[in-house]
Amino acid sequence: MIPQSFEYTAPQTLKEALALIEGGERKILAGGMSLIPLMKLRLAQPAEVVDLGRVPGLNYISETDGVVRIGAMSTHHAVETSPVLRAHCPLLAETAAMIGDPQVRNMGTMGGSIAHADPAADYPASLVALEARIRLVSAHSERTVEASEFFQDAFTTSLEPGEIVLEVEVPVEPSNEGSRYEKFAHPASGFAVVGVAARIRKSGDRIAMARIGVTGMGTHAFRDRAAEQVLESGGTIADAAAIVGAGEQPNSDLFASADYRLHLARIHAARALTAALSRAS
Amino acid sequence: MKVSGSYVVPVPQERAYALLQDPAILTKCMPGCEGLDLIGENEYAMRMKMVLASVSGLFAGKVKISEANPPASFRLIVEGNGKIGFMKGEGLLTLSPSGDGTNVQYEGDVHVGGTIANVGQRLLDTTARMLIKRFFEKLASEAGQSERRLAAD
Repeated sequence: MIPQSFEYTAPQTLKEALALIEGGERKILAGGMSLIPLMKLRLAQPAEVVDLGRVPGLNYISETDGVVRIGAMSTHHAVETSPVLRAHCPLLAETAAMIGDPQVRNMGTMGGSIAHADPAADYPASLVALEARIRLVSAHSERTVEASEFFQDAFTTSLEPGEIVLEVEVPVEPSNEGSRYEKFAHPASGFAVVGVAARIRKSGDRIAMARIGVTGMGTHAFRDRAAEQVLESGGTIADAAAIVGAGEQPNSDLFASADYRLHLARIHAARALTAALSRAS
Repeated sequence: MKVSGSYVVPVPQERAYALLQDPAILTKCMPGCEGLDLIGENEYAMRMKMVLASVSGLFAGKVKISEANPPASFRLIVEGNGKIGFMKGEGLLTLSPSGDGTNVQYEGDVHVGGTIANVGQRLLDTTARMLIKRFFEKLASEAGQSERRLAAD
């Protein structure tokens, strides 16, 4: 339970931090809710750790021109309680409120969580449903990627060595939109056995737009475009929920078999969509 | 843990079978594999460095090919031991023609133990599937390259 000794650096500026991680050899600490337990078990034994915790200017949540920007080092608690997010993007605040436990939410950060890309993490479902954009920086470059392209595989993102998540951009949810995140939490770890994020935009009585993001099912979160299509072409929530995860190969572990996971995904999709629809009205 | 699935490799069956027996190709395709040394008939010592998220570990192990029935099927046995855990996988690979390429079907059993299995139980299945997918994707791309080299000669 004692990690192997390692060198710890806490840079005071972003420039310094980016220079330190440039080679991609040093491990980045951004809250430490995944990295520290792994180090204590000696499953991770980085020789050098760079802590982003003291880098100023990475911890903010603000809205301009219809886009909410969330600094990478914003804790889950900050996301959960942000008045800006509660007003403009309640889906993300609601998702953050369901992560782990209070200790994890106080220490863990959005940037750290998405860079780690646990296949059962909560944020990815909402971020793909929100069609969020993720800004990445390194010492020499800056780029923006779509959330659905960012999450590539289990623990695998489009981050290159030397790059960090700078901020996450999500669109302001308009007033005719409703959203909801529903998860089946693993009773011990709090991770999503399955989590479904739903957004519905209404136009009159019909559904003009539907977005469904699913986490915990496969190697990474995905948007279920086929189920979205059903709703957008006049199908019912039951019709859409019944095909969620079709064609996916669901994960299977001691806690939940593949069939059970698929069942959970459909049940939670129906619940999330129903709640989103009622909020859109 | 049972694993099964199939992938298409874009080369004829004889060629695909030969590639799957070639230690140089296997070294390139097995995620994290750093080298295979012949230690017996169809048996190799393997060095592997797995890096996944923050977890990294060195494994030493063996790769063995048995029940060879070229070019239709063979059994692949992979064993590895390291500080963070151990794994043993065994699978039957069946090759059949599929258009211009070869369909490789696998069916097997993977056992993982030690620290990595104790704390990572919920992730074993996902990870195993991801690594198998990477193996076949790399194999398909290596096969494509070797075909082009043959064509160029």
